[in-house]
Amino acid sequence: MEQLISTSSPHIHSGASSRRIMLDVIIALLPASVAAVVIFGMKALAVLAVCVVSAVAAEALFNVLVHKPQTVGDCSAIVTGLLLGLNLSTNVPLWQCAVGSVFAIIVVKCLFGGLGHNFANPAIAGRVFMLLAFSAVAGGAMPAGAELATGATPLELLPAGVSDQLPSLWEMFIGLCGGAVGETCALALLLGYVYLVVRKVIKWYVPAIFIGTVFVCCFIASGDVVLALYEILAGGLFLGAIFMATDYVTTPINAHGRMLFAVGCGLITFIIRWFCRYPEGVSFSILIMNILSPYLEKWTARKPLGG
Amino acid sequence: MKKKVSRLKVPHNKHTAGCASVPVAPPPEVVLPMSMHSGAPAEPVVQVGDYVRVGQLIGKEGGEISSPVYATISGTVSAIEPVKLNTGRTVTAIRIKGDGKMEKDPNIQVPEVHDLDSFLAAVQKSGVVGLGGAAFPVWKKLDAVRTNPVHTVLINGAECEPYITSDHRLMLEHADQIVKGVEYLRTYLKAEEFIIGIENNKPDAIAHLEETFKDDPSVKVMAMESVYPQGARQILLYNATGKVVQPGQRLASLGVIVINVTSLAKMAQYLTDGMPLVDRCVTVDGSAVAKPGNYVAPVGTSVGYMIEQAGGFSEPAGKVLLGGPMMGRTTTTLSEPIVKATGAILAFNQKDSAQMEPTACIHCGRCVENCPIGLNPTAFARDLEIEDEAEKVAALDKHNIKLCMECGCCSYVCPAHRPLVQNNREGLALSKKAARAKKEGGK
Repeated sequence: MEQLISTSSPHIHSGASSRRIMLDVIIALLPASVAAVVIFGMKALAVLAVCVVSAVAAEALFNVLVHKPQTVGDCSAIVTGLLLGLNLSTNVPLWQCAVGSVFAIIVVKCLFGGLGHNFANPAIAGRVFMLLAFSAVAGGAMPAGAELATGATPLELLPAGVSDQLPSLWEMFIGLCGGAVGETCALALLLGYVYLVVRKVIKWYVPAIFIGTVFVCCFIASGDVVLALYEILAGGLFLGAIFMATDYVTTPINAHGRMLFAVGCGLITFIIRWFCRYPEGVSFSILIMNILSPYLEKWTARKPLGG
Repeated sequence: MKKKVSRLKVPHNKHTAGCASVPVAPPPEVVLPMSMHSGAPAEPVVQVGDYVRVGQLIGKEGGEISSPVYATISGTVSAIEPVKLNTGRTVTAIRIKGDGKMEKDPNIQVPEVHDLDSFLAAVQKSGVVGLGGAAFPVWKKLDAVRTNPVHTVLINGAECEPYITSDHRLMLEHADQIVKGVEYLRTYLKAEEFIIGIENNKPDAIAHLEETFKDDPSVKVMAMESVYPQGARQILLYNATGKVVQPGQRLASLGVIVINVTSLAKMAQYLTDGMPLVDRCVTVDGSAVAKPGNYVAPVGTSVGYMIEQAGGFSEPAGKVLLGGPMMGRTTTTLSEPIVKATGAILAFNQKDSAQMEPTACIHCGRCVENCPIGLNPTAFARDLEIEDEAEKVAALDKHNIKLCMECGCCSYVCPAHRPLVQNNREGLALSKKAARAKKEGGK
């Protein structure tokens, strides 16, 4: 008889793993990635590839240099790289993509202790860093085959109100407009949303509340349903709400905290877009709410049974 | 409105639900620890060399909260010695070499019960403790009726732990004892309402008891959702009655008593035929067991003998445990005895016993979402890293560590395989220790 193992209960496990969750997120990002390449051409593929490769390489190298156990196997660096890439436009030089990716992984994630210890979403922080360091990240690029290679994105045009210059709502929904490669096709992003909800990786309400808050605020402010619809389809709202406002590490751990987080994101996005006429509402709103996250968690803690 | 407090669906794996209980052949030896209950250990009243018969008292109560121990086979006392149990405690145990005859103690007689005092005295003598796992002496639980009138008796037949079907079999095979138990509690505790809570994965047991009690409007068979840990006292109480017991509060002060269905039946059995708790039904199952089933065995029978009775190992076992997979304890030796509250023996093959390495917490919130009490296990993990002992305990207490019932839901769902409930146990121990020190210091 071999030695019997002695361990503390429980002796069975749900089978869930962090790696599986990350793989699910990657799978959910595939429709948007494919849409990016279809809409923006091979340049989009180059952006995504450079971001993913440099993110993974940066994490692997960091672990080697500081003698930490190798963690690239958890696939979280792929998620960060892919998300950052989807947040950039084809106008961004590839070397800048690489720098942004390395910043996201090294400065935002690894220096804080790696997966689970960062206070801000690495992809968002990477994008904001690139925005400040290299100015344009999302604007400018038009779908492959468009008459003009560059132009204003719908988000930049919206402050002037609904006009002929804007693409139709349908074109906006399927992604035929300017912007970051992964943010324009709401349809593809929604497919990913459904997948993540079905796989129970994310809660349905976080993106719904985020997008809903922006919609309601825009509708109240303008009284125009069409404009409000344009607002939610423009820019990175779907991408941010579905994939970044649902990041576990940088959002509250409890349901009510997450709901409040989503409301806050929606409000800040609206304020930045509406009053500042500034097209970076989603990134900054999530970043600001990331910082507030521990407080939201504290304020919304559940009252235990018998406590 | 009632909250939904437990939601975790674990695979039931009730493979043995259809296996009628069969008695094992008399074991060659039993080891009877003097502490198979919470409270003070019993004290041996026999000596090495004594011949004992089934049902004969061998350990008398050793304190105010205690429970007597009876010989479970006939034979000769071969040793009275300290034995290390899988709980980590070392307790005095009486070893009996069996003669295979299973001769009953001739002095056994049906106890005379005519009022509350004689009823409680009889229950005390029965040796019955909480057989669902808590092992709290049943008479002491019922004794609360002296200070708090009991209106509702909640009979726990939930059996929410995967694999275990011993309570299930009892409800199918010995409904008559449940009927008697209800009658005793009605007569002597003056209880008016009886709720038998059963998870809806046992439709046959629900139907059988509904049929049994169809002419008794005071007994309600309640089909409960099959979610773990439906059978935990606090959860069952809340889901069945909407009541919540606060820490330090006695359940009886709410006018409710919760009793495990097998405990009730065993109590009724003693009151009817005078045979105290000497045997019980144990589910033997798991991927390394050849013939899973339900086996009625004398208390004190070794785990190894039980597995032999169940056809032995079908493949090398990695882990053997007493109890269910969510809260049961492993043993490293097959000579480990089954105790009064052992409802199952599970043996898992090497593959099912593999341990997963913990990775970093990704803050996914599954532990929080699935905690039936509504605690935050990640907060306890953080608290335990505080260096200052007093601050650590203060933080743990602030996060309500005392409410943790160690059900294991948090560890079960954790995708990072973190030892969450294990942390909680450490935290609970620290908190209890500090509370004790404070109490003693205050005297």
